Amino acid sequence: MRTSTRFRNLPRDARDTLVLLVVVAWTLLPHAWHLPLWCIGLTTGLLLWRAWLAWTSRPLPHTIVRTAMLALAVGLTWWSFGSVIGKDPGVTLLVMLVVIKTLELRARRDALVIFFLGFFLIITNFFYSQSLLVALAMLLAVWGLLTALVLANIQAGRPSLREAGGIAASMAAWSLPVMVVLFFVFPRLGPLWGGDQGQRASTGLSNTLRMGAIAELVQNDQIAFRVKFDGPAPPPASLYFRGPVLTVFDGREWQRARTGDMPPAHALRVGGTRFEYEMALEPSNAPVLPMLEWTSHVEGHAATNLEPALRDAMPLGTTASRLNDAPRLRHDGQWTTDRPVTERLQFRALAHAQATLGPTRVDASLAEHLTLPGGANPRTAAWALQLLEAEPLLKQQGVEGIVQRLLTHIREGYSYTTAPGVYGDARGRGAVDEFWLDRREGFCEHFATAMVVVLRNMGIPSRVVTGYQGADPTLQDGWHVVRQLNAHAWVEVWQPNQGWRRVDPTAAVAPERIQQGQTMRPAPGLMGSMLGSIDPALWPRLQGVWETTQLRWNQWIVQYSRGQQFDLLKTLGVAQPDWSHLVYSVIILLTSASLGGALWAWWERRRRDPWERLQSEMRERLHRVGIEALPHESPRTLATRVRLAWGDGAAPVVDLLMQLERTRYARGATARPDPVWWKHFVRATLRAPP
Amino acid sequence: MVKRLRQRIRHWLVERLPRTDTWTLNHRNVYIVPTPAGWSFAAMLLVNLVATINYQLNLGYMVIFLLFGIGLVSMQVTHRTMRDITLMLRSPAPGFAQEPIPLDIVLSAPSRERHGIALEFNDDLSDGRKFALVHTDVPAGGQSTVTLTFTPLSRGWHDIPAIRVETRFPFGLFRAWTVWRPASQVLAWPQPERPPAPWPAMAEASQGGQLRVPREGDEWEGVRAWQRGDAMRRIVWKKVARTGELVSRDTTTMIDRELWFDWKTTQGLDVEARLSRLAAWVNSATQQGLAHGVRLPNLEIAPNVGAAHRVKALNALASFE
Repeated sequence: MRTSTRFRNLPRDARDTLVLLVVVAWTLLPHAWHLPLWCIGLTTGLLLWRAWLAWTSRPLPHTIVRTAMLALAVGLTWWSFGSVIGKDPGVTLLVMLVVIKTLELRARRDALVIFFLGFFLIITNFFYSQSLLVALAMLLAVWGLLTALVLANIQAGRPSLREAGGIAASMAAWSLPVMVVLFFVFPRLGPLWGGDQGQRASTGLSNTLRMGAIAELVQNDQIAFRVKFDGPAPPPASLYFRGPVLTVFDGREWQRARTGDMPPAHALRVGGTRFEYEMALEPSNAPVLPMLEWTSHVEGHAATNLEPALRDAMPLGTTASRLNDAPRLRHDGQWTTDRPVTERLQFRALAHAQATLGPTRVDASLAEHLTLPGGANPRTAAWALQLLEAEPLLKQQGVEGIVQRLLTHIREGYSYTTAPGVYGDARGRGAVDEFWLDRREGFCEHFATAMVVVLRNMGIPSRVVTGYQGADPTLQDGWHVVRQLNAHAWVEVWQPNQGWRRVDPTAAVAPERIQQGQTMRPAPGLMGSMLGSIDPALWPRLQGVWETTQLRWNQWIVQYSRGQQFDLLKTLGVAQPDWSHLVYSVIILLTSASLGGALWAWWERRRRDPWERLQSEMRERLHRVGIEALPHESPRTLATRVRLAWGDGAAPVVDLLMQLERTRYARGATARPDPVWWKHFVRATLRAPP
Repeated sequence: MVKRLRQRIRHWLVERLPRTDTWTLNHRNVYIVPTPAGWSFAAMLLVNLVATINYQLNLGYMVIFLLFGIGLVSMQVTHRTMRDITLMLRSPAPGFAQEPIPLDIVLSAPSRERHGIALEFNDDLSDGRKFALVHTDVPAGGQSTVTLTFTPLSRGWHDIPAIRVETRFPFGLFRAWTVWRPASQVLAWPQPERPPAPWPAMAEASQGGQLRVPREGDEWEGVRAWQRGDAMRRIVWKKVARTGELVSRDTTTMIDRELWFDWKTTQGLDVEARLSRLAAWVNSATQQGLAHGVRLPNLEIAPNVGAAHRVKALNALASFE
């Protein structure tokens, strides 16, 4: 027998069970990416077994089997997580519970239990991802669960799947307005209690830098953040987004300065063109806000070390901020938050083209910027001292001359590559020596590290700054897209009276990397290369469209926040929205919706069949001229009665009644009575003999 | 105590309803409340809302509000499933006491197909058991017939107990129901005595034995149109094959004795037992195709045979006194 015929001939209970199993499997599918392997295997096996039992109409397993399964699931969960409480073990147990429940499933009786459990599963999916794809998959899952519930509530006969699915879909469609309104208006509250928000490894920049780390990072074309400028954007060559500033070097790894935050003397003095912009930051799990150089204000928070005159002049309107705590500007010019960024943030900021950062005169904070690990790179140290001796003119030219000399040196003798291999021994000793003097090829972090080592050996305070440089060459919906592959490292040099100044050695060796924002794009995947062979522009364009859609989704759905709610209220005319307005609008909307519903019900009650209304009016008319007419009597009966009562004078009325009989009951009768007929009828009854 | 009170309130509510054989459902006589499943659905939404607020899941809000909306829409749909349905009771045929009598109820829907309509008697059985629900769907603009069975406990006229019509369609979150008191009464014949007692002796024909009564086995005098109650072997199959009409042998004969089932012959029993015995006799005589008369203290039914005669006789027994 063919499978489709077999399916059609299954007993109804078995068919409904199979439908429910498919829905359960679909709901579980997105969980497969984060469940332990044993759970995936057990789930697949049990679901298939249950489906086979339904398919072959075999009896369900004994209670002992289910109890044993449950015990096994709890045991394995404990073994995997060391606990049965918490998000991940909880989800694992929930999945196992649903699957074991299907072993005692009788589709119609237990549809509601599965519906509730399935609903929990859907919500738990959002712990892991709220992407557009997951949302669409879960919408399908909700539809499937509703269909199963509809099937369970049609007890008679054998309703078709299409019919039940149609009913479920139309119900969902009807409830869409309620959902949309509540989604946008329901007041967003903060977390009710501190929970396990998930500790994940950070992506992107962190507060330490290992040689080779950025080279790894640029293999990743994930979006780090997006930036949209209110006015014209700065040229690509000045798109430096400042991440952690690294001062302490142990020969292998860079760390931030140990100096405390923000000595007041280190004022940030800004000037030049102003850039107001909006940033949409993807979660990085690091407390880093990679702001454009030089940002003075972030979402209403001015840098505390800003000149007082600028500090108060906060020109930015607030928007949909999800910044839970105030962003701060560290003394080294980096913006941070108190907590790691675990969700998408969107906020506005103000930047300036020029700034002077740090002390203008020698102070204690500079000492750290001259320290090097003893004897880590002796040959480079010797090279630096030798250069100063060989070219005495450099000393007279000062810091500027030395920097230019070094950049020329790099430009002439080094090459730029993302895969330079590993430098130094196991402990990182001699890494800079090997790069600077022997192999002479490397990536931004190698150039930056080596340059700082050389400068410090010459007694010039310098440090490494990490961050992002450049953006995608094409805008998406007005947004500059900055990816992990835009990660960069450069150098800052301190000079008296000028403070810290940026020097980018990579610009010397690979100017196209800086000027055009050209990045080291990883090779496109299979799909990408296939599309690329058709039209080289197609794949990036498709990618662009998809990423724009995702951006919109993230902005309007995933990170829709109280700020956006207030904006919405403002456009609706509320001058000073606060959250009581949100509550009011929920109440107003619910009240008007129920009023509307009541009105509609009233109107529907009043609405009668037009024929019925005509007949009742006709009876009233006849009653007025002395002819009794009962609701169930047909026009033909009435015609007979009229003829009996009036004799020959009744002819016009009788004719009209017979005409009504024909138009109402003959084949091809119209849905509505003819209004002309009524006019004639009224006239005829008026002229009728009393 | 609470149960008794509830039953009394329910009884009082039902007593207020008019008795009618056609019952059209509208907003005045359809009630709706959430089911236990509906309450747990609401509780589940609330629990998930708290979790969603805590984990700040905007998609969680979305799904919860979608289901909240679906809950509201389902309330409307549940009520609409019931509205505008017309229930009609076909006049019930009489039956024996203690035996189930089928009640045919026709449901018609002027528009829209209706799903998951369930019918049952409003009151529980006397021993506390529930009546079984009967489920049906009504096609759009069409009708569907549901048969409930009613078992009268004693002979005589019985009111049909109030019938509850309900639906939980589409999701089982709400229950919309109406209670309907049909006006028709159902007649229960006396329960036939089992095993039946032997017949009384045949009486002399009262008026010279002029009555022509058909009897089995006698010579036949011709054919007549088939009547209900004629035995198969009396059908003239040859003629049926030729004409296509059912005809029976008219085996009437002159008899000088008549079969009378007389109230007096059942002396020594109480009223109900006597009626039961008479009912059993009428039944067996009809089965055998024997003409018989019934004599009650205030009523006499002349001897005859056939289904109509049987009904007449049993009706008389049922409404005795």
